[in-house]
Amino acid sequence: MKRRTAVTAVLTLAALIWAGTVGAMYQSIRRFETTAGRGAEAPAAWPASSRIVPARDRWTLVMLIHPHCSCSRASLQELERIVEMSGPSLETYVLVYRPSEFRAGWENTDVVDAASRVQRAHVVMDTNGQEARRFGAFTSGQTFLFDRDGRRRFSGGITSLRGHAGVNRGSMDVVDIVRSKVPQGAHPVFGCAIRTSATESEQRR
Amino acid sequence: MSDAIVTNNDPAIDARTAELRDEHLRNRRVRIDRMFCWLFLVQWIAGIIGALTVSPYAWEGKVHTVHLHVWVAVFGGAGIIILPILLAIFRPGTTLTRHVIAASQMLSSALLIHLTGGRIETHFHVFGSLAFLAFYLDWPVLITATVVVAADHFLRGLFWPESVYGVANPEWWRFLEHAGWVAFEDVFLIWSCIMGQREIAASAARQAQVEQLSEMEQLKSAALEMAMAEMQSASA
Repeated sequence: MKRRTAVTAVLTLAALIWAGTVGAMYQSIRRFETTAGRGAEAPAAWPASSRIVPARDRWTLVMLIHPHCSCSRASLQELERIVEMSGPSLETYVLVYRPSEFRAGWENTDVVDAASRVQRAHVVMDTNGQEARRFGAFTSGQTFLFDRDGRRRFSGGITSLRGHAGVNRGSMDVVDIVRSKVPQGAHPVFGCAIRTSATESEQRR
Repeated sequence: MSDAIVTNNDPAIDARTAELRDEHLRNRRVRIDRMFCWLFLVQWIAGIIGALTVSPYAWEGKVHTVHLHVWVAVFGGAGIIILPILLAIFRPGTTLTRHVIAASQMLSSALLIHLTGGRIETHFHVFGSLAFLAFYLDWPVLITATVVVAADHFLRGLFWPESVYGVANPEWWRFLEHAGWVAFEDVFLIWSCIMGQREIAASAARQAQVEQLSEMEQLKSAALEMAMAEMQSASA
């Protein structure tokens, strides 16, 4: 009789843990996936101080990534799709954040491998996030699209959630702008932070 | 779950058939409960390894912390499987255990799908799990699993639809389309459960008849031996 009561108590406790876990898990996953990163404080035109040279005869797309941000795999999948759909009318740069004090090879990740597989994309190391600062980007996956005159036409992310590839407003906007269907666009960006207030104050010192 | 027994118009055989069938089903279901215990543990470990491999850390510039996926895989995964494993240990073979296992298995699928970033390929886990659940030969278990899948899609479609459908404003009935493919598989699995139960019932009926015949033979032999013994004692 005692054992039966003990078993019932254990099972009741397990049922409460089970129900609580399901609720908490859904809630935490939802909060994580739907919380956008800090949006860019992007200049309206191509930053003159940038070492990247924009194309003058076609669109220039710039994406900034953190090499260890797993969510950026989805951004790169979307980028691949955009490049396929836009064809040669798009010049693509993927700027990879790299702190100078980290050991050599720190940036060699599958995320950067995925970036180098994007057709015609130039993968450029962004030492200490200097280019990210010039473009006003804070979050991995931040994408900019500039026209032939260097005017910014799109700023934002190209995924609908953190780490989820698939049809979304951001990537559709980029393709539509390149095809001259819409004049400009913006979309929340989802990913790890490239720059934080801590790194900024450290940089200033 | 009781089903029709091949009747012999003999209450004794029918009762024995039901007894044999229930015993067979119970033994089978206890075995499958135990198999699910191992499967849950394997899935849990696989989820943790997957999270550690795919997204071990979340980064903020140069600083990294353990990624939410790792915590979810460890604690969320453990929370999902604790109840079905304890039920399989302390209440094996019961209807409640089977239904909790079905619901938890579908939640494990949802977790694995999430941990792999919603990969289409991971959705096959749902279909494989349904086939595994069909081994119970208890079709309402498949309904529970289907309801959990549909509820997961419905709720996520309601609160953050991009995670399931990739778009922010899908049609309200889109979850029915996804659940419809699960229901498509269910039709065949439910049919196989019913057929499986009938085969077990038929096998039980044959065994009951054989047992009765054997019992009658034994009674006849005993009666014959007794008659022979009486004849021998009378002639002496």
